Amino acid sequence: MPMLNKNASQTTPHRSDEPIWWSLFSAGGVCVAMLVPAITLLVLLGIPLGLVSAEQLSYQRLHALVFHPLGLGVVLGAMVLPLFHAMHRIHHGLHDLKLAHGRLAKWLCYGSAVLLSLLVLGLWFSGLG
Amino acid sequence: MSRKPYQPPMPASWWLKHPAYRFYMLREATVLPLLFFVASLLYGLYALGQGESSWLQYLSWLQQPWVIALNSLALVASLFHAWTFFVLFPQVMPLRLGSRTLPAWLMVSAQWAGVLLVILALWWLLGGMNADA
Repeated sequence: MPMLNKNASQTTPHRSDEPIWWSLFSAGGVCVAMLVPAITLLVLLGIPLGLVSAEQLSYQRLHALVFHPLGLGVVLGAMVLPLFHAMHRIHHGLHDLKLAHGRLAKWLCYGSAVLLSLLVLGLWFSGLG
Repeated sequence: MSRKPYQPPMPASWWLKHPAYRFYMLREATVLPLLFFVASLLYGLYALGQGESSWLQYLSWLQQPWVIALNSLALVASLFHAWTFFVLFPQVMPLRLGSRTLPAWLMVSAQWAGVLLVILALWWLLGGMNADA
């Protein structure tokens, strides 16, 4: 059927990059569900809710916890993966609300997740010293 | 082939028209308070890197009413998101023990137990055992 081969883009299948973004979204979703309740309850709202004292959230303790190798894991799970999770939903939300779609919206969404993640990693590594 | 196919109109407000669509959009919207949560942590990470006085400033910033309000919203949103995610898990990836499939309620409660365990672990890391607060 020569008619079908007229368009070259139809003959070479296009590999979708959606699995990458969806995996990051999904991993981020698990991290959000597991880590965000604990961190909001005990750190961000801990003092106003009376669950922890200011002494428990001391600079020395938090610095030791966050700038520990395992702290990097928590930073990745509580900040980097949730960023990809959020920007994936925003990317699809913009399309759903007919606000934006196409390449530019996609680049802006995932691009900002990448840039903010680099900022997070930069802050963590510069805080080590 | 010359006839134009009919394309039904799809207004941007389509999601208001059915409870299931509204529920979908509400779940999608949980990422907005989540972005505030990440921004709060970003500020905290920066403050920790700057030294003790910035950290104390950060702790008092956390106690401003609007920050408390947005972080409370982030907490509620994360619990709502967790619920939708946990309910999906046994449907997407049913676990089998021998010939039996683990019941959905068991998998969902195991995940909630995980959330509770993380809260307790963080409380312990923050010296919850020794503190008499």
